[in-house]
Amino acid sequence: MAELEAGKLVPSSAQEIPARVQVAAVTWLRWRIFINSTFRRRPAGARQAVGLAFAILVRIIVWPFLAMMVIGPIGGSGFFAWMAIAGNHPQRLAPLLAAITLLWLFVSINGQNVAAVVSNFDPSSLTRFPLRFGRYLVLRTFIGVLTASTIVGCLALLAAAVGIGVAKPALALPALVVLAVYALMNIFLMRMIGAWMERWLANRRFREVFSVLMALTVVGFQFLNFQRAPARALGGRSSWVLNILHSSGSQLHWLPPGFAANAILQVSHPFAALAQFTGLLASTAVFAAVFAIRLHKQFLGEYLSEGASRRANERSPQRNSARPQQAGAVAKAASTENVRPAFPPIVAACLRKEWLTLRGNGVQLIGMLTPLFFVVILNRSVFAGHSTYFLPGAIAYVLFGVLAGLYNIFGADGLGVQVYLLAPVRLRDVIVAKNLMSLAVIIAEAGLAWVLVSMLARTPIPLATQISTGLWTIFVIGVNLALGTMRSIQTPRRFVPGQAQRRRITPTNRTSGLLIMLVLFGSMALQFPVTLLCRYFDDPWLGAWIFGPLAFAAVAAYALLLHNADRFILAHRDVFAEELCKT
Amino acid sequence: MTTLAIDTAALTRRFGEFTAVQDVNLRVDAGQFFGFLGPNGAGKSTTIKMLTGLLAPTSGSIRILGEDLSQNSAEVKRQIGVVPEGMALFGRLTAEEYLRFVGRMYGLDRATTVQRTQELLEFMQLADERKKLITDFSHGMQKKLAMAAAVIHGPRVLFLDEPFEGVDAVAAGTLKAMLQRMIARGATVFLTSHVLEIVERLCTHVAIIHRGQLVAQGSLEELRAGQARADGASSSGGKQRSLEEIFLEIVGTDREGNPAATAPEQELSWLS
Repeated sequence: MAELEAGKLVPSSAQEIPARVQVAAVTWLRWRIFINSTFRRRPAGARQAVGLAFAILVRIIVWPFLAMMVIGPIGGSGFFAWMAIAGNHPQRLAPLLAAITLLWLFVSINGQNVAAVVSNFDPSSLTRFPLRFGRYLVLRTFIGVLTASTIVGCLALLAAAVGIGVAKPALALPALVVLAVYALMNIFLMRMIGAWMERWLANRRFREVFSVLMALTVVGFQFLNFQRAPARALGGRSSWVLNILHSSGSQLHWLPPGFAANAILQVSHPFAALAQFTGLLASTAVFAAVFAIRLHKQFLGEYLSEGASRRANERSPQRNSARPQQAGAVAKAASTENVRPAFPPIVAACLRKEWLTLRGNGVQLIGMLTPLFFVVILNRSVFAGHSTYFLPGAIAYVLFGVLAGLYNIFGADGLGVQVYLLAPVRLRDVIVAKNLMSLAVIIAEAGLAWVLVSMLARTPIPLATQISTGLWTIFVIGVNLALGTMRSIQTPRRFVPGQAQRRRITPTNRTSGLLIMLVLFGSMALQFPVTLLCRYFDDPWLGAWIFGPLAFAAVAAYALLLHNADRFILAHRDVFAEELCKT
Repeated sequence: MTTLAIDTAALTRRFGEFTAVQDVNLRVDAGQFFGFLGPNGAGKSTTIKMLTGLLAPTSGSIRILGEDLSQNSAEVKRQIGVVPEGMALFGRLTAEEYLRFVGRMYGLDRATTVQRTQELLEFMQLADERKKLITDFSHGMQKKLAMAAAVIHGPRVLFLDEPFEGVDAVAAGTLKAMLQRMIARGATVFLTSHVLEIVERLCTHVAIIHRGQLVAQGSLEELRAGQARADGASSSGGKQRSLEEIFLEIVGTDREGNPAATAPEQELSWLS
């Protein structure tokens, strides 16, 4: 204290900061973030024990699902590697290694959500500290290396090495060494892809193009999948992927999987094996260099965001043209003044705001279209000729994606939600506007799916099924609107695009998240037993009799909630404001 | 000869077709309390990011304490402290953990880091919030923590982007006193602020940036005397003027010299 008050902030010694100190500091930082993220406020004693027990419980529920997705590929890698060597099919080793790299990439992309829960750390923020580039490169390469993708990929390669070793013990050591380098190559490859994607995705236009490409890839993949494997051969539908990998063996010889496989298989010819191993090392070096080039630009202070240029455009002198525009807007408003509005002014204003937000979100619009493509693909393949049963399934499928948004209607408003709290408006009107926009999206999505299924049906869908499905849809929408609105008020979550997974998950949010899943799945799954009942009693109208009252009850519950919305918000105002308005 | 703490030559930064900072030649002597002013969007934060190595200039050079930033960024960063625009805190650490991490990153030994951490937490009145995560701190508390992190290694040049924004009066007084003492010990402070009274009270030298270009630079006295304007225009009137008056005179005109702001009586007549 005395030192500070006297102003003696002594500069640090001039000698270079040891690398181990900085690496240890960053490792410690990651550890503390992990611990604090897991136990949040580090409660003492009993609370800590309860927190730990809850964390373990959640993992017991969630991890078996993840384990199933992980253990399969790992075991499969070991088994296929063993088969390739023991069965005298060495040409299958390169495709296997290529498949592991693809798996690594797949988990790397899809594992972001899992990893991000324990990581709210942006490694590029390290550039402000006195680091040399080499040290920064090492830190960026190995920070967060223990992600799901690396663990799965490394274990799959280890399993492959074990499989090779069991099949032919003489290859065990070379396989272990070569596949260790292959793992390192994959780490650099994933880092390289991640770093360049980060650069490109900083551009809004690229993001939209990329979303379209990803959607087309997924749809195209599914289309090929079902085209190649019709419904009667569902069990073997992924075999065409393996066939492609098998037939690609000759091309893989000039790629890292081929280098790695040949370096192991040609171990009895040291020069050939060494040449292949050099090829693998060179590939690793190339990926590392391309990754380093990207990082170096970042290290020197590259500006990724497009915000500045966008602001610049907004700021460009347009003052002269502003007045005529303003005058035009006033004239337009005056001319429409006498037109009877469809909604009360507050609802109309909020609706317009919601529409502008939706219209500006190209990625969300693309995301809404993708399920419709799947409806077409599924209708023409797996469910061809079964449109009567597929109709509710198709509606459930498209609804699942859009209904989730009903559970956090204020989340994307963030600090802007204060406008609703401060303005002399009834929050009920705001909720109505938000739900109306959601409803419009839901109806458009479900309606299009309905039309597509009906058009592609080989025989007309019975009226009873259509009415039953319609009433069930109203029931599902009503239930989710009512509960979604309640949840949006009781436990809102601020949603920041790009940081959605970095927010802290509170126990309340976690519990209500499970509840949402139960309601979403439950309300939709109700269609299944009712369909069975209809078939059992041979009465197609039974569904309508069951879902009719349910739909009425759901709509009534929603109306009741809207009636009491202002009072309900008032009761939860503290939580509402604290979560959404905190700076 | 006085050592220059900050010396830039033709510093320019472009974002696409937009030039945020153009040909800025800043000269800040060591030991100065330097205020960097400008209206919103003038290029203050862009300049400070370039000076601290967080943003690469499109062209031009930066020397901090005589060292070329592009050539010796690690050495330069070791000598400077920064409170950046977004504060760049790690939300899921406690204040103590954060300061310990920053201290170690700047090469302080463990004992010194722990000692300075405790002193800074006491000094910034954050010692009672040891178990609280930074994400749960108020804006003012986060600002104080960012300031503590910026000085833990004893920087010779301190860059502060809006340091007093959101800080209560008591804490602001404490921070100002600390900065004054740092100046007395030979450190240089370079700060941006919208509150001109603060700059006027604290700073001995000022530069004004407008539309990305440096339009004035010098001591407060030189500015008042009209000798510091880059365009060579002299000030009107001979009376002692406030910094606010000088600032408005310099940046309150558009490129053609017309008043930039709309006359109040012409607009918003419906306001009561």
